[in-house]
Amino acid sequence: MNIELALFGVFAVMTLVSAGLVITARSPINSAMALVSTFFFLAGIYVLLWAHTVAVMQVLVYAGAIMVLFLFVIMLLNLGDAAHRGRPTVTRILGGASAFGLLAVLAVTLGRTQALPAEMGPQAQATFGTMAAIGQSIFTSWLLPFEAVSLLLLVAMVGAVVVAKSRI
Amino acid sequence: MTLPNLTLADFLPLLPAIIMVVAASVLLLSEVFLSATASRGYQAVLTVVAAAASGAVAVGLMFEPPQEVFLGFGVLDPFSSFLTLVVSVGLGLAALSAVGFLRKRGAERGEFYALMLFASAGMSLLAMSSEFITIFINIEVLSIATYALTAYLRRGTRPSEAGFKYFILGAFSSAVLLYGTALLYGATGTTKLNDMVVPLQQALSTNPALVYVGAVLIAAGFAFKVAAVPFHMWTPDVYEGAPTPVTALMSAGVKAAAFASLVRVFLTVGKGMDPKLPLMLFATLALLTMVAGNLMAIPQRNVKRMLAYSSIAHAGYLLLGVAALFVTAPGEHFRVLSASSLSGGTPLDVARSDALRGILYYLLAYTFSAVGAFAMVSALERREDEEKGTAWDLERFAGLAQRRPGWAFAMAAFMLSLGGIPPTVGFMSKLVIFQAAIDVGLVGLTIVAVLSSAAGAYYYLRVVVYMFMHPVPEGAQPLERNWGTEAALVISTVAVILLGILPGHVTDWLAQAGTLFGQ
Repeated sequence: MNIELALFGVFAVMTLVSAGLVITARSPINSAMALVSTFFFLAGIYVLLWAHTVAVMQVLVYAGAIMVLFLFVIMLLNLGDAAHRGRPTVTRILGGASAFGLLAVLAVTLGRTQALPAEMGPQAQATFGTMAAIGQSIFTSWLLPFEAVSLLLLVAMVGAVVVAKSRI
Repeated sequence: MTLPNLTLADFLPLLPAIIMVVAASVLLLSEVFLSATASRGYQAVLTVVAAAASGAVAVGLMFEPPQEVFLGFGVLDPFSSFLTLVVSVGLGLAALSAVGFLRKRGAERGEFYALMLFASAGMSLLAMSSEFITIFINIEVLSIATYALTAYLRRGTRPSEAGFKYFILGAFSSAVLLYGTALLYGATGTTKLNDMVVPLQQALSTNPALVYVGAVLIAAGFAFKVAAVPFHMWTPDVYEGAPTPVTALMSAGVKAAAFASLVRVFLTVGKGMDPKLPLMLFATLALLTMVAGNLMAIPQRNVKRMLAYSSIAHAGYLLLGVAALFVTAPGEHFRVLSASSLSGGTPLDVARSDALRGILYYLLAYTFSAVGAFAMVSALERREDEEKGTAWDLERFAGLAQRRPGWAFAMAAFMLSLGGIPPTVGFMSKLVIFQAAIDVGLVGLTIVAVLSSAAGAYYYLRVVVYMFMHPVPEGAQPLERNWGTEAALVISTVAVILLGILPGHVTDWLAQAGTLFGQ
């Protein structure tokens, strides 16, 4: 058993455990903190996948900036613990059943998936996942999606301002 | 380092979207210099001009040969240009109907029109995207703009509920779509549709389950966007809670763009698959959506909500056309209706390209009829009745023929068109889709479609009965006129009737638009 596999096991199990805590924790603060740890362990998995840049972004942007905002919002809204969990209704049971059904289908599918061919030449291996390689492909061949993302960010910004306006 | 060779021709298909984005930026920047009470009449005019300009460019682009642009991230084909035209029509009419609506509420702001333009730019780009990440980003552009528009007037609980519901469920469906995309990428190693055909064949022999699960998840994501049953739960609440001009844009533009992308994705992903699977998938969705949409619309007395359910039903008829695209072995009733073949190819190819034309024609027809109907709803509703929930009651239409004969005539035309009754464009477009479906052998499904659209005629004609045969209610408020709404009504009415009686030219023109790159 090599070290990479062992690390993956640790990161994967911890990601799942913290993700489970996010949805089961009663207090919103605990939920948010569990989300932070989910992001950290996911970043570890990204590193194992050679996606160093994505891992750094994950820690900086999600675990850092976005989670701070989450905590601010929770504090500003002064949310208490969830008072009660609600009774199981037909919709909830059906929703839960279909969620677990989807999970089962995905587990069986991914379990039966054969190893996918990793076609990576030595040259690509040297630059894969680096900032330089990502920057180069973003501004050359991936120009159209890149420009579309800038449109998306502008729309999200304008939309957030419109929704947050006190009165129109 | 190798630079890709991008030429002006690569940017040409983006021109309609660029026009919309530039107009939106002008609106946003000019808004800064206006006081709260300044006159904002120019904003709707600028939006309509931008919509007309991008529609005109789209018509010009329709005569370009189908080609890949941006290294396969997008395609320029008559199909995408036609969709851009449909989106521009929807945008222009919705913006016209927004003038009076916003002014009555003192809510006219540049951001509203800018977000409408951004949403339409996203729709136009989505229609031409042929790579999964680009598709996803453009879906998000149009979705986020419409989430914000839905919550634009947050007075009272309904708009807040609508905006929140749309946002949460929309984000969830986007995640489902993205997960399906990731599985397909894992199986094929590419996200470009045009490069996917060969690796897909290999993946289907080594990892078939991965491809099928990925395809089903992608279909579920799109089914949410087009409001197909059983992914329709959000539609009535969101359509009712959103400002009426936004509902018009959602029912026309979002649906058209999502259908365009759905067709483009599945015509590629479905290749090499057992053709029964996509056929079964879309036939089931079509059946559920047609029947449930019409049945749920029948008891509605709230016209806006009724139109929301009717938009679900119309998604069902469109899905019938999509299902017809995946028939490879026709039944014994093969080609009973149309005997002539327009172009070369086997009869099945001809019938399938008929189905594609039918989808495009139907989207154009639905845009004119539904946006017109929503413009009429926005002209009759009053802000004070919204909290009571009576703003859109059938009673508001009672006796409209005596008070405003022109409006009643326009609304009657839209209702007949939505119900598929001649001499309107709604009848012709249903005819094209149903004929194509019968030609490929989907006879049973088409019979269900005809029966359910006959059931639909009940609730459409009820509005007409209220307008023409019921007396004006006591104490009815005066009806305010507005140039924008009336312009939208006139344009839609003329189009609904003209396209209904001059179908020959339109179908010839559409025969060309029914070409997709790589098909």
